[in-house]
Order: sequence, then C-alpha cells, then structure tokens
Amino acid sequence: MAFDEMKAPDGGVRAPYRAYENWLLSVAPDVLPRKLEQADEMFRRIGITFNVYGDQEGTERLIPFDPIPRIISAEEWQRVHNGCIQRVKALNAFIHDIYHDQEILKAGIVPREQVLGNDSYRPEMQGLDVARNVYVHIAGVDVVRVGADEFYVLEDNLRTPSGVSYMLENRAMMMRLFPDLFARHRVKPVDSYSDVLHKALRSVAPAACEGEPTVVVLTPGYHNSAYFEHAFLAEQMGVELVEGRDLFVADGKVWMRTTMGPKRVDVIYRRIDDDFLDPLAFRPDSALGVPGLLSVYRMGGVTLANAIGTGVADDKSTYIHVPEMIRFYLGEEPILPNVPTWRLEREDDRTYVLEHLADLVVKEVHGSGGYGMLVGPTSTKAQIEAFRAKILANPANYIAQPTLALSTCPTLVESGIVPRHVDLRPFVLSGETTTLVPGGLTRVALKEGSLVVNSSQGGGTKDTWVLEDEPC
Amino acid sequence: MLSRTADHLYWMSRYIERAENIARFLDVSNRLSLSGGSAHDCWLPVLTIAGWPPQDGDVPAVRVISWSVLDHANPSCIHGCLRAARENAHAVRSVIPNELWEAINSTWLEIKRLDGAALREQGLTGFCDWVKDRSHLVRGATYGTMLRDEPFHFVRLGTFIERADNTARLLGVRGAGVTAESRSSAAADQLHWAAVLRSVSAYKSFRALTRDDITPAGVTAMLLLNADMPRSLHACMDAVTYSLERILPTAECTRLAGAAHARLHYGRLDQLLEDGLDRFVDDFVVANHTLGKQIHSDFLMAT
Repeated sequence: MAFDEMKAPDGGVRAPYRAYENWLLSVAPDVLPRKLEQADEMFRRIGITFNVYGDQEGTERLIPFDPIPRIISAEEWQRVHNGCIQRVKALNAFIHDIYHDQEILKAGIVPREQVLGNDSYRPEMQGLDVARNVYVHIAGVDVVRVGADEFYVLEDNLRTPSGVSYMLENRAMMMRLFPDLFARHRVKPVDSYSDVLHKALRSVAPAACEGEPTVVVLTPGYHNSAYFEHAFLAEQMGVELVEGRDLFVADGKVWMRTTMGPKRVDVIYRRIDDDFLDPLAFRPDSALGVPGLLSVYRMGGVTLANAIGTGVADDKSTYIHVPEMIRFYLGEEPILPNVPTWRLEREDDRTYVLEHLADLVVKEVHGSGGYGMLVGPTSTKAQIEAFRAKILANPANYIAQPTLALSTCPTLVESGIVPRHVDLRPFVLSGETTTLVPGGLTRVALKEGSLVVNSSQGGGTKDTWVLEDEPC
Repeated sequence: MLSRTADHLYWMSRYIERAENIARFLDVSNRLSLSGGSAHDCWLPVLTIAGWPPQDGDVPAVRVISWSVLDHANPSCIHGCLRAARENAHAVRSVIPNELWEAINSTWLEIKRLDGAALREQGLTGFCDWVKDRSHLVRGATYGTMLRDEPFHFVRLGTFIERADNTARLLGVRGAGVTAESRSSAAADQLHWAAVLRSVSAYKSFRALTRDDITPAGVTAMLLLNADMPRSLHACMDAVTYSLERILPTAECTRLAGAAHARLHYGRLDQLLEDGLDRFVDDFVVANHTLGKQIHSDFLMAT
C-alpha cells in the first residue's frame, strides 16, 4: 500500500486534510463533478491547452485538472523548501566549477570523462563568467514522497523547466471554484511567483547594462507545447514575448525589432533549448534562434536564463552524484535524498538490473517527459523482453531505479473519489538570492495504479496547498 | 512594441472585419434573391468582391455560399478568416486582454465545428447574424478593455483599413454606373439600394437623416462622405488617421492616410464622381492598398 496524503494508516484523516474532509462531508456529493465541469469549460475558454507531439487529433488538448487539492503542512513544506534550495545551490556551484577550475573532477568525485564527454557539456562556456555566477535561474525539482517522512528527489530540471503556469492557473481556478474552502484554510499564496521571477531576472542583467534592464521571454513560437506558459509568464511580468526572428545582433548587442525601431535587450528568459539558440554556433538549421547570439553572450552583452550548458548537471548520469556535490560545495548533508540508482554501464549493476527488470523502473539517461522508459511492474513480459534488447544494445544509455510507491492523493474520477499517485515539482528561482514560492505543480497519474504522471502520458494536475503554521 | 506583435494585432482585426464583411455581402445577396433578383445578379457580386474573374452563365447560390463560408480551397472564406484571426490572436495573447482573446478563441471553436449540414440547419441569415455578432463582440471587447496605446491603435488600423476596402468594393459591384446625378427612384432601384444600405446596417440611419427617396446618389454620398456613418469611407479614414497620428505623426503612411482623408473630408460628391463611381472606387482601392503596404514598411518590418 502506498502512503496516502489524506488517509492515515489507522483509517483516520491526516492533519493537513482535516478541514478539507469536514468540508467534503458537508457538501452534496455532486459538488465536485459539477465544479470540475465548470473548470474544464473555463480552461477551454481561456485557452489553457498544451500541444501533444505526435497527436494526430488536432494539436491542442486540455491537461486534465483535478479539483481536489494536494495539501502539505507547513512543517512538511519546510523540509522540501530547504532541500530544494540546498540542491539548486549545489547544482549551480557544480556548473560554475566544471566551467571553471573543475575542482570536483580533480577531487575525483565526479568522473571527468562523464562530464566532458557529455553531449550537454558546452565547451563554449569554459572560462566564461556569468552575472552573479548564476547559471540556473529557474529550476524545477521533481520530488516524490513514499512515506510520512520519506521524500526523494527523482529528477532535477535545469534547462527550461515548464509547468509553473499550471501552478498559478490551478490556484486561480480553485479560488474561483471554492472560495468557501479558502475561507476554511490558511493557504500560503503563490501569486508572487512572477514578481520574484522578474526581480531575479533583472538582478542578473549584464554589467554593461545601464538603467532599468530590458527583460524578454524568448519562445520557439505558438506551435510549442508550452507556448501558453511562455505567453502567460511574459504577460504576468509585463515584458515582451519574443521569437528568434524578433531579435537580431548588431554592434555586439542584442536588439529587438519594434514599431519604433530597434530596442536593446539585456536579459533573455529563453524557453528554447541550447541547440537551437544560435544557428551560427549550434544547429545551423535552427530557424528558432538568433544568429550571433552566442558571441554577444560570450562578450557579456546579454544574459541568458538559464545559462547555456546547464544540461550537463541534470542528466541522469550526473544525478547520482548530487548528494556528493552537496557535501563537496556546501559542506552539508543532503536534506532530500536521491532515489537509489543503478547505472547499466556498470557490469555489477547491469547484472542485477537485468535479473530484476520486472520490479524496476528503467529510464534513458538523456530522456525526459516519461518517454522511452520501462515501468517493470506494470509491463507485459513481451514489453520487458523488448526493453531488455534495447538495454543490451546500449547499456550506457540507461539507468534503473526501484519502483517507488509514490504517495497517493484523493482524486476525482468517474466512479468517484479514489487514490491516485502524485509527484511534486516546486520551482526554485535564483538571482540575488535563491527562493521558492510555497507550492508547486502536483502531477497526478489518472490511470489506476499508474506511476507515470507526465501530461504527455495521461497525467493531470492538482493545485498544491502549503498551509500556514496553525497557532496551537 | 514588437513589430511582429503589431503585425499580428493588425491582421487579427483585419481578418475579423473581413469575416464580418463577407457575411454582410452574403446577407445582401440573400435579401436581393429573396426579393426576386436573378441568381446571376444576386450572387455573382460576392465572387467579384472576392477578386474572382468575371463568370459567364449561371452562378448557383449554394456554390457561392459554401465557397464563401467553408471552402478550404478559399483561404479568405469566413472559416479561413476566423481561423487566421485566431492564429494571429494566439500569437499575441500575452498582449491582448483576456476578454478579447476569449471572444476570438470561442468564435473559432464554434465555427470549427460547422459543416455544410449545420450551416443549412442554421440558415444563411442566422449564420450571417452570428458572424456579425461575434465581430461586434470582438470589437466591443477591444474598445471596452484595451489600453489606448500602440497595440490598440494597430488593432483599429486593421479594422478600418479592411473596412474601407470592403465598403469601397461593395459600392464598386453594387453601384456600377452611378454618378452624382443618379436620382432614379424606380421601385427596382429602391429595392436594390435599400438592400445595400441594410448590408452596412445603414438603412435606419439613412431614414433618420433624410426624408427623400432612397436614390443611388443619396446612398453613395452617405457611404462615401458621411463621417457619422461608421462604415463610410470618410469614417474609416477618420479612424485610420486618428490612430496613425497617435502611433507616429511623421511616418510616411500617416501622410498618405492624411491625403486620402482630406479628399473625403473636403471633397464634394460631384467632384469625386467626375469620372464615375467605378473609377473612384478603383482609385480608392489601389490607394488603400498602397497605404496598407506603407504601414507594413513603416512599422511592421523594422530592422
């Protein structure tokens, strides 16, 4: 039995959910389904959709929204909060180190060839100083829970993590649907996120910038699956949402094309992968980027958030070293542990994993989005055998982890309220300081028994409530 | 603001306005055909306005309607216009008010479901009314919620450049041979010009302004020169010059618009129609097109 966020093992209700349960018992049983219908209609009307790659049916779909909140106590949150900040600080220090003196490689803590041979390692970044030494301005840390006191970090997202717009929109929707619930709970607000983000981005303007820095959000365009979020964040911050073709490089600076002529740009919150940023430096076939951007960046004429080359630190082969990084750079013990991980390039690990495929989760080292993974316990024999062949063909491409019994949270499905597995992605912002707003994106696997929460694989989202400390 | 944003806003409102005007053209054809006009006279002008070469023989109403409303081979059908408007709005949704986005998006979601059968079920008049209602809603959301700064003015520019083009073309196909002396009040002409007035929602206004019969010259004067009539060329050019003066008074397109505006503001009907209405319309459409191109090169393609 997985740990349930609401129901205690003794059959009672866990403290953070007590007020919620009282409310639930006091309302008519059809309230939740009716509210859910309203929510779907409103989301559709305001156009909160995401694009699913490979989906032939039209390109837009709603991410299913679940009207039952995931509730976290102040105390539980404190731990997640401290653990995420600690982790991002260490990861940022790691990226700075490997692009400078490489002390951690010299100390033999992370294997040199693994870092320098990684596809996401960018030699262009070597020796380059970035504003305030911040590389990861926005990080999404995927946290899972398996017991009352057991939180693990499943994955770090340090490139262009998405999902924060759902955190904000889900909250707005919940306040619209259930004002009475917010009167009964003291839920910490999340709506300062865009202000904190804007402040963090302004604080990392290049030294050469005079006056108030101009910040823009750079999107691949409206066919991108996260376009809604790009537009949403630009709107919330009150900055321009630009595409590559809106920017150009001249006189060692980046400019945007405006109706009144060119305007200087200082900080680019880019939601385009490294490979597509600059066709002169990276993929020459990229029509999304800005020719010459890298040269301006290297000369300190513009700040990119996140920095180029952060992917080297969120790779699954680097992941296993994060606890050691925390000790190495911060001299602290990790607050949130890693999930035990086997690396299939190691013979011992491989032997063990191949014998236990039916019990494990196997992932591609560079994969994301829940694609290309094997969840042993829910796979057929044939699927397992097919995956075994893929592993044997290229063992270094895979890692394996135990199948964690992710905590469950009550969720509304057609048959009523049932437990479904959830994870949590808080967003960590770094500029002058490192902070995270109290909340995050709770993703829920809507299929019974499923452990895959990705929206591309039938996952939904919930509002995440962090409660204020109740005075006793 | 970003040149591309201005471009999307401009085309967003042009396409909404175009959809509305196609609906208006179809509506006037429908009215005339219900009053016993020949299929050729009633429906051919819809194609002419859309730029089709002259057709010989019969023009079946059903074909004209389906081509103007739903035909995927015609990018300027109402369906195509509403899709293009929605795509442009989608690209700038961080700039436009939510109400405006919702109005455009829900319009698209509705017409996306429309097919020939549903159109027949709803009836042409009902459908045309729906298109006009949606356009009113979009314009109302724009006017009622947008800050009066640059984005607003580019939206307005799109609306009025497109509307001026459409009103001029309407006169071009429905007013062949009209001069300042066209005072015919024959019953057939009354019917014809009343339908033209109704297609631009100006029938009541015409009645309120004059007790005279509906004459070709009277209607033409109203649609060209009356600044108080929201779909007249004069009113369109008032709005265009107003917005351009606020965007950039020194731009070349502002000068062009001012010159075109002066002609309508200070012109007399007999002078303007010296060479006939057809000639005037042709010149106006070309000048309006040139103005549109100048707006593009002044603001929308900055380097």
